[in-house]
This record gives sequence, structure tokens and C-alpha cells, in this order.
Amino acid sequence: MSGQLGLEGPGPQPELLGQPSRRPPGPAGRPGPVRPGPARQVALRTWSAFDRKFFRIAAIPAFLAVFVVTVIPFLAGFGLSFSSLNSVDNHVFPPTLANYKTIITDPVTHTVLLNTVIYVVAAVVLETGFGLLLGVLLASKHRFVTGFRVIFLLPLTVASVAAAISWSALLNTSQGWINYYLGLLHLPQPNWLASSAAAMPSVIITDMWSGVPVVAVIVLAALIGAPRDPIEAAMVDGASAWNRFRYVTFPAIMPAVVLAALLRTVAAFQQFALFEVLTGGGPGLSTTVINFYVYQQTIVYGNVGYGAALGVLLVVVMAVPLLLLFALMRRR
Amino acid sequence: MVKTAATVNQPLRARRRFLQRHAGLVVTLVLLVLGAIFVLLPLYWLLSTAFKNGNDAFALPPRYVTKPTLSNFTQILGGQFAHYVLNSVIVAIGSTAVALLLGVPAGYAFARSPVRGAKVFNTWFVLAYVAPPVVFIIPLYIMYQHLHLLDTYQGLILAYETGLLPFTIWLMRVYFNEVPRELDEAAWIDGCSKMRALWKVVLPTVWPGLTTVGLLVFLASWGEYFGALILTGPHTETAPVAVEGYIGTTFANWSELAAAGVVLVVPALLATIVVQRGFVRGLTFGAVKQ
Repeated sequence: MSGQLGLEGPGPQPELLGQPSRRPPGPAGRPGPVRPGPARQVALRTWSAFDRKFFRIAAIPAFLAVFVVTVIPFLAGFGLSFSSLNSVDNHVFPPTLANYKTIITDPVTHTVLLNTVIYVVAAVVLETGFGLLLGVLLASKHRFVTGFRVIFLLPLTVASVAAAISWSALLNTSQGWINYYLGLLHLPQPNWLASSAAAMPSVIITDMWSGVPVVAVIVLAALIGAPRDPIEAAMVDGASAWNRFRYVTFPAIMPAVVLAALLRTVAAFQQFALFEVLTGGGPGLSTTVINFYVYQQTIVYGNVGYGAALGVLLVVVMAVPLLLLFALMRRR
Repeated sequence: MVKTAATVNQPLRARRRFLQRHAGLVVTLVLLVLGAIFVLLPLYWLLSTAFKNGNDAFALPPRYVTKPTLSNFTQILGGQFAHYVLNSVIVAIGSTAVALLLGVPAGYAFARSPVRGAKVFNTWFVLAYVAPPVVFIIPLYIMYQHLHLLDTYQGLILAYETGLLPFTIWLMRVYFNEVPRELDEAAWIDGCSKMRALWKVVLPTVWPGLTTVGLLVFLASWGEYFGALILTGPHTETAPVAVEGYIGTTFANWSELAAAGVVLVVPALLATIVVQRGFVRGLTFGAVKQ
């Protein structure tokens, strides 16, 4: 692997063909008017015929498939959330709000919600912060530094289950390497995965193992792609390194950072393998987050109706930070 | 010669001057080495333990140099695990094929034609990606019970398309958008049929993008855990589910578990080396190009 991380090969550039590839849309969404020669007119006519038939045939199967596998299950889940369906009760009708009432009153749900907020906020903030730092460090063109780039690409490819197995062995309280090393340094040896105080931080650290490199790689790509001229201009003007970063580089890569934070937010809410392999949601409730709780209620305990309602809660809770981040991205 | 303080401290001063001049680089390298240790430690554990015998795997202090043994691999691949790996391969190839067959033409249509309601579809695809799998998979589990699709390859592949198909359509559109329309038009003027133009002219141009999307989709279904845990059974259980199930049961020790982990990791690693150029684009849905 070369040091040029994810650099695209030279693709065909629209400008090479003399015309911008996408004309501004004309009325009714058609490509806007171009005063073309006869050949081009033929081509345009062919386009519109092509549009109508071929594209519909090309697109419809995929859209149908997406509809079947997303809309229908989602609506079914939403419907089930009003039922009391569980392993002993088969009644779907009449719909009630009982599940939602339970969510509001059950203290377990409150703990699970709090755990989710702690987990997501900690994971996203730490991963975005450290990822930004790592990406900036990796952007140095020194040959000692570029050699490191490939190392930080590795976690992106490792299946979450394999990573979780490795970490659960390393973090094992009596047999794990981490506590052995800490012992050598005369540092305290926490009961990583088996104490309610350390379990959540352990899962967050493990999540950072795959999350920080994701952010770093995105930041690095954005830094490589950022225009050099403004930075050099700031250098000539005598701006300090920090000011150059703060006022020139950072604004340029800001959209990529927000996008990375958004991807990590989605991943944090969807995290399942780490909780299942490392802690199983425990000890007690200390690492039970909503996503995991939905699985437990539905598949383990068979409370399908209640689990579906928790799924709706998960979607609502996720929507808040995601809408914020989308708005932040749109503003830029 | 009388040794003065100045001459004694000369090497020290030189070192200090060196540090001052290269302070940025030194700090960078120190931080990168710390980061690299954090990243490599679990991978080192996995790789080294997979080639150790049971006693060495548990030993403290860690035995870094042991006589490598392949017994863990022969042990697990001689048993049921080979069947689960095969299931993973079937499901990963199947879901990649479906995603590309349906997603590439749709991505082309999406990129080229002013599809009415494109905005609605955009939003829908983003939602389908963002929405947590539990929201789809658990209702699917209940529907599959009635449709007899539980523990079947086609059921799991269909479920994987919830995420993979929107991803394929989205990213292929980005790649098709980079091919100028004029290229398609020129092919028609030269007398190509539409299908032929797509097949002979446009697809070869987006080939690098196509392979990137294909491999990313393959990787995603290869390592997928949650859907497989819920929708598979004894016949179609995939390798990640099997590995997790072995913790504390069939596999007596960590070295076999680590070997199973290596079997999971290596194909993905190879695939990534092939697509590394397109990796970041895949991660960011084409938003970050380089």
C-alpha cells in the first residue's frame, strides 16, 4: 500500500469535452436549452426517449426492492409497537398505547436511555476529537509520517466481531495483557469488563479503536484535497501555525469533519457486536443501550410489541443529533 | 585542557537545538507511535495467538516468540466452522451480486435522468442508511416466520439489501455523475443501441468505481453480525455468528478463537488492499473525493 491514501486515479473530467457535463435544468426538469447542431439535437431527442423507457426499467426493480425491505418492515414494526404481542400473548388487536406508557414509567428504560446518551456522546466526541488530531498529524508530508498512514487504515477492515474478541481477551481482568502491562508499570488494574464502573468506558475505548481511524482517514483525505494557496498566503502574511489551522485549514475541512461526526453518530447508535461480545449489556444494566435493549426485549425475552415500541423510541432519540448535524452540514 | 561547563554541555546543547528545530516532528512521531501501538495491539494479539498452542496463549507474561503451529486452523476448519465460512462466502457473494445487479442500473438512471421525485428518493435512501438495523431486522424476523424465510440464504440476502442496495445506488450515482453525458451521446450518434452504449462505453469508464462499490458491499456483508445472528439458524449461520457463539462453549481456548478471528479478518484485509483508493469515497458516500 502506498502512502497516498485513497487518492483517486485521474477520471475523465467533464471540462475535457468542452461542455460542462450537466446543463442547468430547463422547464419540466429536462436538460436546459443548448443551441446545438443537428447531431446534438438527435442525441437530445434520443436522451428523452431513453429517459422515459430505459431509465424507468432500470430504476424500478431497485426501488421496489428497497421499498419491500425497508418501508414494509418499518411500517410493520411501527404497527407492532401498539400491540401486546409477546411469547405468551398473540393478540395484535386492539391497538393500545400500553407499551409507550411502560417506556415512560419504567425506570429501566430511563437507565437505558441515559446509558445511550453517555455512550453516543462520549464515543462521538472522543472519536471526532482524536480523529481530527490524528488526521492532521498524518497529513504531514514527512516520509517518517506517511509510513504510518497504512497502519491506521487497518481497523477499518476488521469485522467488528473479530475486534471485539481480541479486545475481550486483552481486557480480561486476570489473564489479559493490558492489566499485565499496567501491573508492570505499578498502575491500578481495573476490572475492565466485569465492573459496572469500568464496563462502559471499556466499550467506548474499544469503539474508539475502529472509530478514531475512520475520522482520521476522512480528515486526511479532506486535508490532502484542500487548496494550498490560502494556507501559503497566510504563511506569507506571517500567521502562526495555530492561526493558520484555526482560520484557514479548519474551515476548509469543516464539512468533512461534520460528515465524519455524523457517520460516527450513526455507527454509535447502531453498535451491537461490541455490547454482545464484550459485556452482554452488563454488569447489571451498566452497558445496556437502547439498540441492545430492543434486541434483548424482542429476541431474548420475546416481548415483540414492547421491543417494537423501543425501536420507535430509538429512531426518535437518534433523530435529534442527526438532524442537528445535517443542519450544520447544510449551512456550510 | 580545562573542562569548562560550556564544553561539557556541548552535546547536550546540540541535542537541545535539534529538538527545538524539529519539535513538531518529534511530537508528531511520538503521538503516532502511541496511536499505532493502540491500533496494532489487538491485531498483534489476534495474529500471534492464532498460531500458538493453548498453553502459550494463556501464558503471562505474554510469550511473544513461540514456535508457530497451524493446529488451531486445522482444528476449526476440520469441524463445523468450515461450513459457516462457506455460508459467509455464499451470503456475501449473493448479496453483492443482488446489490450490483439492481443497484448499478438504478444508479445510472438516477445519475442521468431527471427522475421525478428524485428528492424523495434521496431522503429515503439517507433514512434507510441512518435507520438502525433493529428497526428493519426484527419485523423481518416476524415476517420471515410466516414466509418460511428464516434460516435461508435468500432471506438473509434480502435483509442485507436494506442497507446495501441504497448504498450501491447512492455511490454508483456519484461515479456515473463523473462520466460526462456527452460520452453516452457520442456512442449513440455512432450507432450504438442504448443498452450497448451503457455496456460497452459507460460501464468500462466507471469500472474502478464499480469494483470499489462491489468490494465495499462484499466487505459489509462478510463481517455483518446483527442480521445474521437473528435471521440465520443451523443451516445458514455465518462465520461471525459462529465465532461469537464459540466464546466459552465449543472452543476450549483463545487460540482457536483467535484463529477463527484471523479467518474473518484476512479476506477483508486483502480486499481492502485492492480497493484502498476508493475506500474513503465509500466511507463518505462520495462526499470526500480523495
